Amino acid sequence: MSDRALQDLVLRALADAPFRASPAWRQRALADPSRLERFARFLARHFYYERIVHFFKYSRALSRVSGRTPEAVLRTTAFEALLPTIVLGSRDSAAAVAKVIAAHVSSGQRGAIPYLPDLLRYEEAMMVAEAGPRVWRETGKRETRNEKGTTPELVEGTVLLELSYDLPAVLPKLLQPWTELPRCPEQPTKVLIARSKHGRVAVARADAAVAAVLELADGRTTLDDLAREAGLRPTELEATLAGLTELGAVRFATGS
Amino acid sequence: MKVGAFYNPHLGAELVRGVGIDHLAMADPPAPHDPHWPAIKARYTLLLHDYLGQLSEPLDERSIQRARALAAQYGTPWVAEHFQCLHTEDGRYNVNYVFPPLYTEEFLRRFVANAVALQARLDQPLVMENIPGFFDVKASQMPEPLWLRRFFDETALGFLLDLPHVWLEAHYRGIKPEAWLAEFPLERVVELHVAGVEEDEDLQGPWIAPSEPSEEMLDFMAHAAARCPRAQAVTFDAFSPSLRSEVLFRSVERIRRAL
Repeated sequence: MSDRALQDLVLRALADAPFRASPAWRQRALADPSRLERFARFLARHFYYERIVHFFKYSRALSRVSGRTPEAVLRTTAFEALLPTIVLGSRDSAAAVAKVIAAHVSSGQRGAIPYLPDLLRYEEAMMVAEAGPRVWRETGKRETRNEKGTTPELVEGTVLLELSYDLPAVLPKLLQPWTELPRCPEQPTKVLIARSKHGRVAVARADAAVAAVLELADGRTTLDDLAREAGLRPTELEATLAGLTELGAVRFATGS
Repeated sequence: MKVGAFYNPHLGAELVRGVGIDHLAMADPPAPHDPHWPAIKARYTLLLHDYLGQLSEPLDERSIQRARALAAQYGTPWVAEHFQCLHTEDGRYNVNYVFPPLYTEEFLRRFVANAVALQARLDQPLVMENIPGFFDVKASQMPEPLWLRRFFDETALGFLLDLPHVWLEAHYRGIKPEAWLAEFPLERVVELHVAGVEEDEDLQGPWIAPSEPSEEMLDFMAHAAARCPRAQAVTFDAFSPSLRSEVLFRSVERIRRAL
């Protein structure tokens, strides 16, 4: 085994709690188990602290109304209970942690913020979308037009959220100085949350065309069929797909 | 010796008005709508200290172009990166925190080759920062200071000496920080980092924190600075949303007095 592969094993042991507890890791005896476990727990709290500060920043801004700071969850028994199962960067772990954060914030004065349930769903979705393997460096040749497939498919982690409140209208106001709780129009709103292969999460309002394309982009439906079923003209479809590809929501399947 | 801090955007207003700071290190690019950025950029010498990539692998073209663009945007006198290997080669596992490589011949070859290649693409000198280890990995083949010395001998790059990292390693090894420091290639040091350490519940011991350096740490800094003949700057190494303005300014002032 190369030194690089050994380093990867150590990194996995730090990131992946079930692996850390497995005989496959323990039998290697590469590091003091107690020290490694302490450092892994430190890393887990740091990892999710950074994500809470970033993805739950609106809930943080509302904490003087809700009475709950999202990052306080990191010292609760609910989070402690997750530690033996956590795999840093995995979507399942992100979903589990996001759920306990949302429950923690919801346990405050939620009635004072009518749009808090929508906001927490939005923030949870952002955190989950960001998780998953990412491309840290480009190693292969660039994809050319000819190598692209012709059947668009949804990228894993892309979410279309249907909200009861027009959250995009209020989010910037929450991060500005305010004395009275910023209001949010009660209006059905769809937002698309997607992640680029490099891990950048993007959000956009979704119109009917976007919603239709996302529903039909299964990697098998051709562009002609997609345009027909979504009721879009070819130019509309092309523009929609270009936007969705840019966001990282859709890619073109290249077949097996 | 120049004395500075990190640019913490939540303290932008205070940094625009404040005095006594020679430079600001940039851990992240400025946010697109940061109202203080134009004044910060106009006023301060800025040091590029972002995550550019881990040099256990060659940086890809996208990362190199990003580094070049940030260096040009800041007008940085040097570009900093860390001796770190924090994600697996396949991108599946990532600890999202500075973590050192195994100190082996293979990793030395990798870091030398990739750092030299990066330096060739930059218009500014590249400096490399040491990273603390909380535990030893038995696969390492040599002590960290020797590995670093060989790296700097082979590359002739500059050394960004993080003193709390040295102090912490000495603490966890049960040796005097000054004795551990003496093993490092101090003649290569261009910049020093100084910060506070605090008890961490998980680690059950001290670790880096966005707090003021203790008197002991400042004495250690003065001891180190006197042994780094090429050092040009000391930076208060704290970058956190929880960092308070008074901590930043008081730390810089105390660092300046201690030098």
